[in-house]
Amino acid sequence: MSGLIEIQLLNGIVQGMIYALVAAGLTLIFGMLDIPNFAHGAFYALGAYVAYTVVSATGNFWLAIAIVPLVVAVLGLVVDAFAMRRLARAGHVYQILFTLGLVLIVQEAIVLVWGANPTSVNVPAALDGGFPLGAVSFPHYRIFLAIAAALVIGAVWFALERTRYGAIIRAGIDDPEMVDCIGIDVQRLFTVVFGIGVGLAGLAGALILPIRGGQPAMGNELMATSFAVVVIGGLGSYLGAVVGGIFVGLTQAIMTILYPAASEVAIFAAMALVILIRPQGLFGKR
Amino acid sequence: MRRFAVLVAIVVVAPLVVHYPALETQILTFGLLAVAFNVLLGEMGFLSFGQATFNGVGAYAAALALIDAHAPLPLALIVALAAGAAAAAIVGSLAIAGRGVYGVMLTFAFNEMAYYIAFQWRDVTGGDNGLRGIPRPDVLGISLDDPTRYYYFTALVVLLAFAVVLRLNVSPFGAVLRAIRENEERARAIGYRVRRFKIAAFAISGALSGLAGGLYAELYRFVPLQAIDLDTSTSIVVAALLGGTGSPYGALLGAAIFTVLSNSLSHVWSHWPLIFGLVFCAVVLFFRGGLWSLAERWSRRAAHA
Repeated sequence: MSGLIEIQLLNGIVQGMIYALVAAGLTLIFGMLDIPNFAHGAFYALGAYVAYTVVSATGNFWLAIAIVPLVVAVLGLVVDAFAMRRLARAGHVYQILFTLGLVLIVQEAIVLVWGANPTSVNVPAALDGGFPLGAVSFPHYRIFLAIAAALVIGAVWFALERTRYGAIIRAGIDDPEMVDCIGIDVQRLFTVVFGIGVGLAGLAGALILPIRGGQPAMGNELMATSFAVVVIGGLGSYLGAVVGGIFVGLTQAIMTILYPAASEVAIFAAMALVILIRPQGLFGKR
Repeated sequence: MRRFAVLVAIVVVAPLVVHYPALETQILTFGLLAVAFNVLLGEMGFLSFGQATFNGVGAYAAALALIDAHAPLPLALIVALAAGAAAAAIVGSLAIAGRGVYGVMLTFAFNEMAYYIAFQWRDVTGGDNGLRGIPRPDVLGISLDDPTRYYYFTALVVLLAFAVVLRLNVSPFGAVLRAIRENEERARAIGYRVRRFKIAAFAISGALSGLAGGLYAELYRFVPLQAIDLDTSTSIVVAALLGGTGSPYGALLGAAIFTVLSNSLSHVWSHWPLIFGLVFCAVVLFFRGGLWSLAERWSRRAAHA
């Protein structure tokens, strides 16, 4: 058994960092902007596929990591400016439904452009190999992934909490009219936040590609899990999204050792438990 | 009343005009799912993203009652109805703990949970092989083996359920649901126990969905894992919205169009969901009343002319 359990736990943390990255974006859009984005998983899937194309064309994974968040963020800007803002007055239900339509479009567009078969890319050469851990070894790439995700999550947090723009955004969320009066276009700022949020999902998709590969339905699977993450962590809490993500990743990993058949169900059972005991989530405010 | 008479006439005549009884039965069961979804969205204003949960629970319950207990078909359908109602009451009571979008996410997440349970619990559900070998017992000594006969049996059950929904919508209960939709705080302030009404609405929606699931299981004498997956939930939402959530007739219309299109278009162009998604986004952006409101506008114009 030596090393296997440690490997599982490390895998759980790595997967948890992906969840955290996705849920952090979801929290920006959902918790802060109050836009229910059910297409978040679709942006994640797009991120993986765009990364696949960049890697196939240039052979450079680092370039993909740099380009993908930008491409996906720009798509997000378009979606927010054209649809979400227009639908804000119609209410949440119609925003959800529009993003549901986006899911249908993106999923089928992926099949159309990239085909229905799973795709994959190799781990970048610089990160090939792994650290020895008992009788086995843990891949370098996964460690890089966890660190990269942590850095990005930290950077976004820093931008929101410690910079002038972050202060304007937070002020805009608290009192949009007042910020408007000072002469700042709040809507445009919010659109940028929306772009950053889906950009994080796209980055997560690109990062997971060398491990899991890409498949058209990958976004849908992620969506339900990241909802559970957000519910457990607390809707609207950035810290909650990160802790919730790691918690869910670890829960999956531990259940895979103990009782694999229930590894998915356990997450949702944990979610139900949180709702019953602490409806606002672990880090949510009432 | 006149609309209902027209609906009955269409349902009775349909297989005589275009003879695809299996497809037409599927339209009815899927239509009942859309109508059940609309009890929550159209009346109460709650978008449930997990309707396939109740459909699947009903389908498995009916199938097990038929296979293991050799239950008569009407009893199996009652079991399906009760199982759907119970599942929906549980999911509903948890989901309404979260306000607004939060509740929608919960129905979505619990659907995924139900899917994984069905996927893993092979002894009961057959996992991804599905549940096979469902018998089709006679009802009142009449054999339903002929697809057309089964169509008329389904039509009878679905029309009855539909009539119940119509009655419910004009009842005081329906009025309370609409009051909750328009202003939940006010409904509570007047003294209605909002939480109970919400859970009751979930139970009713779940009962109808469970019934639809039972009918569906007997239609193909098989319950595929898809009966409980999120794609089915999505289809229900899309179909009901396309038809229009302002009326149960709209939901039924949407379900009929969705079923026919998904059956025919998939032969023409395998990427048809792409166009469907675009049309759906356009409906959400530009005419939220759906097709039914369009039809109503035309009929009003025709009446004035």
